[in-house]
Amino acid sequence: MVLVFVEHAGGEPDELSLQALTFARAYAGGAPVEAVMAGPGAADAAPALGDHGVATVNVAEIDGGFAPQAVGRAVAELAGRLSPAAVIAAGSDRGNEVLAHAAVMTGGVLAANCIAATPGEPAEVTRMRWGGSLLEEARLHGATRLMTVAPHAVGIEPAPGDAPAVEPFAPELRDEDLVVQVTEHVDTSTGGLSLADAPVVVSGGRGVGSAEGFAPIEELAELLGAAVGCSRAVTSAGWRPHTDQVGQTGTKISPELYIPCGISGATQHMAGCKGAKKILAINSDPEASILASADYAVLGDVAEIVPAITAELRRAREAAAS
Amino acid sequence: MSAGASIASGLGLLAAFALFGGIFTRRARLLVRLIRMGRPSGIERADDVPDRLRQEAVVVLGQRKLFQKLVPGLMHAFIFWGFMVLLPTIVIAMIGIVDRDSTLPWLGHQGWFALLVDVFVVLVLVGVAIALYIRKVVKPNRFEGSHLGEADLILAWITGIVTTLLLWHAARIALGLNEYDAGWAPLANALSGIFGDGDVTEALERVLVWAHLLLILGFLAYLPHSKHLHIFTAAVNVYFARTRARGRLEPLRFDEDVPEEEMRFGIGTVEDLTWKQMVDSMSCTECGRCQEVCPAWATGKTLSPKLVIMGVRDHLFAEGPLALAARESGEAYDGPPVAATDDLEAMAWDCVTCGACVRECPVNIEHVDHILDLRRHLVMVESRFPSEAEPMLRDVERQSNPWGNPQAERAAWADGLGVRVLQPGEPAPEVLYWVGCAASFDERARTSAQSTAKLLQAAGVDFAILGPREACNGDPARRMGNEYVFQAYAQQNVETLDDAGVRKIVASCPHCFNTLANEYPDFGGNYEVVHHTEMLAELVREGRLAPAATEQTITYHDSCYLARHNDVLDQPRELAAAVGRPIEMERSGKRTFCCGAGGAHMWMEERAKPINEERVREAAATGAETLAVACPFCTVMLDDGVQSTGADMRVADVATLLAEAVEASTADASANGRPRPAAQPPDDGEAER
Repeated sequence: MVLVFVEHAGGEPDELSLQALTFARAYAGGAPVEAVMAGPGAADAAPALGDHGVATVNVAEIDGGFAPQAVGRAVAELAGRLSPAAVIAAGSDRGNEVLAHAAVMTGGVLAANCIAATPGEPAEVTRMRWGGSLLEEARLHGATRLMTVAPHAVGIEPAPGDAPAVEPFAPELRDEDLVVQVTEHVDTSTGGLSLADAPVVVSGGRGVGSAEGFAPIEELAELLGAAVGCSRAVTSAGWRPHTDQVGQTGTKISPELYIPCGISGATQHMAGCKGAKKILAINSDPEASILASADYAVLGDVAEIVPAITAELRRAREAAAS
Repeated sequence: MSAGASIASGLGLLAAFALFGGIFTRRARLLVRLIRMGRPSGIERADDVPDRLRQEAVVVLGQRKLFQKLVPGLMHAFIFWGFMVLLPTIVIAMIGIVDRDSTLPWLGHQGWFALLVDVFVVLVLVGVAIALYIRKVVKPNRFEGSHLGEADLILAWITGIVTTLLLWHAARIALGLNEYDAGWAPLANALSGIFGDGDVTEALERVLVWAHLLLILGFLAYLPHSKHLHIFTAAVNVYFARTRARGRLEPLRFDEDVPEEEMRFGIGTVEDLTWKQMVDSMSCTECGRCQEVCPAWATGKTLSPKLVIMGVRDHLFAEGPLALAARESGEAYDGPPVAATDDLEAMAWDCVTCGACVRECPVNIEHVDHILDLRRHLVMVESRFPSEAEPMLRDVERQSNPWGNPQAERAAWADGLGVRVLQPGEPAPEVLYWVGCAASFDERARTSAQSTAKLLQAAGVDFAILGPREACNGDPARRMGNEYVFQAYAQQNVETLDDAGVRKIVASCPHCFNTLANEYPDFGGNYEVVHHTEMLAELVREGRLAPAATEQTITYHDSCYLARHNDVLDQPRELAAAVGRPIEMERSGKRTFCCGAGGAHMWMEERAKPINEERVREAAATGAETLAVACPFCTVMLDDGVQSTGADMRVADVATLLAEAVEASTADASANGRPRPAAQPPDDGEAER
């Protein structure tokens, strides 16, 4: 059996945790996979794990939000009780912190940022070191083996199944476990929609012409529930912050739909959006290399096409609503 | 002089020697001990003796690199040559102190030598005047960050030394003590008129000779404490500078034969500096010529190569003695990292490794080695580097190319061209075409690979590519400081090339070219490597390619790794002249200005003003229609620059321009039924060397 610590937000399991589940199923090689969750809303998010091969979800009842050491205690207690072949979590800040606590409490060994693992005596893992500049082959000995999975190293593969059994438990906490707690939660200005995770991304390039030229793009993005991105030329020109940049040296995205507007498609940019399922390019240059990678393309001026799409979307939605 | 006075003077002289010599020796001993503490340099620096002696003659005695700037060059040459000529006068003065009626046998009696001294005293003073004019009136930016007060003190000191010498000679002539005909020393002779021939002059003669000698001895004692240390170290530094393959980095050794305490991961603390880096730092005169040509400095970045070397020196002098003391007491030295000095860490990441600083430096300091070693430590030990470069490092390691494209698609650029992909076990072609990641995967750079392939086919060259067996040569990882990943690729690629029986390689990317030609020999890979421009120029010369020249005006941008690091200057120009009308940019040839992509900057975000725009503006100022390049990264950077500045130019690889010209010629020939002659080979551009 393999135990996976699953993070969640807004009643949904976290995407990075679902990647960790895919990783864990491969590691389990057919053995059952159990999840452990904690914090408010855990029970709401638990049923969704049935589609990811989880048979049982253990929900730790812990008062007081984040409390990483308390969650670590819960994971450690469960690991002691269930003796899993491995304890796995996403290599997020939280996943790494919780498993680090759990590793100390169980006296186990932890390998962070794994991208591949093979069970055995000892288990073998490949993990990212040095900010991703180096891959390390490591062996894990010992009774309790813990791993976190490097973000986006593994794609999510659903494994539809029955709704999991949800088993609440109250871990035996100590006073010091609750020293670190969340006191306040502040959303980022993008309304919680991050470029890396957004299902739809609308980006603008040099062809947008100016910082003001992004207004129609932002409008379209809002309508589509999309995040706004941009090319390197745009951040170089100072029209948008670097945090908005899609590309090799910016954010790597993998949305369902990517809409690059006025972006020529330099290799540096394409390296950042290779993960997109579908690309709809809007560009006035029929020679632009982005057209070679696009599934759909509209040839024309971004300043005309984008507002036209927005208007048509509004019209269609209003028609559907009435 | 009485015997008693002579003995007293001699004793005084000895006392002065003991005092100033003691100060000098104490400092010199420290410097020598520091240099002896230095780590071995990763490349041979004692071979090539004839080349090294030639460097001494040309760079030190001939002052050639100083003459890259005429007026400051004259300034320095006057003072330097002046002091060389005036050296015997030190001995003459010492003899004169002990016995004013004696002089150096033979030389002291030569009229021509007196003339020479007179002339060079004037030239030194002229040199000082020029220096003051440059420093006080012109005030070039290259001195920003230099110790200006120290320079003023040294200039004053030099003035004092030669003025006392001149006046001493004048006083001797006034007293009739000159051993040569006074007419030989016109200036001293003229000045002798200000002295009488009485007791006052007798006393003044003593004062002047003592003042002269004490100034010299004081100067000697002061020098090793100042930036003027270069008087002793520059000649050493020039001698041990690279004589070959300037683009080759010092390899680090990680293999099992190396004892752990000898392993080095770049520059961490002062104990990691190589002896050459120490001598580099002790040779810097803070002249700022490196700073003036640095593309990072020119575009408002933090980096100044001069400040890097000064920072290393400051750190060495602050921490070096502590490290020595720790070693002597048998303790482990645990000092701060070199990169923590001033802005060294930030500066290290601004560098594009273009080598302009190294080329410009009058004393052959190798700045790039310092910067790369700082990066190596930051990346391999501290894991601290600009985060945006992380995907590149990961993609190089995992996907064998810096953009993470599927390796299986490496030969996709050649689809439909009929290019042979060399399969394992097949006989090697005459020439292996090493395409490189950029020309394989980048849309804009691919055109160059396609053009090159078509041209090689048209000329009937027996060539093939490795396709998916070709991997990144490792340059981006290496220039980023990740020597591990680079060496893994070096070993892998050498194995692939050796297994395939490759002897000759044509590379389309100057970075691949430099690595294959200059760096793979360190890993057992020895091949004849040429850049595509070299090979194509040869094919044109042999008449195997017959381009039809057009009227288009072309300005050729030299890639740093072709021109400056590898002396490939003429061939791309021959090609440009064969297809159009070349116009030179202001900074060209070995003094080219980087496109901004080198040193792994292709995969980093640029802070401050963009280098590529700076270069495009210079290219556009020529009025040329076409900006010709010979590097896929230059292609991308300059094409981006053309778009962002709105310049009206087309950016194209010379191979692409040549392919078009050959195609035009062929079409023309079939239309007219006769071939057009190839364009005349242009001048070979030797002047630039």
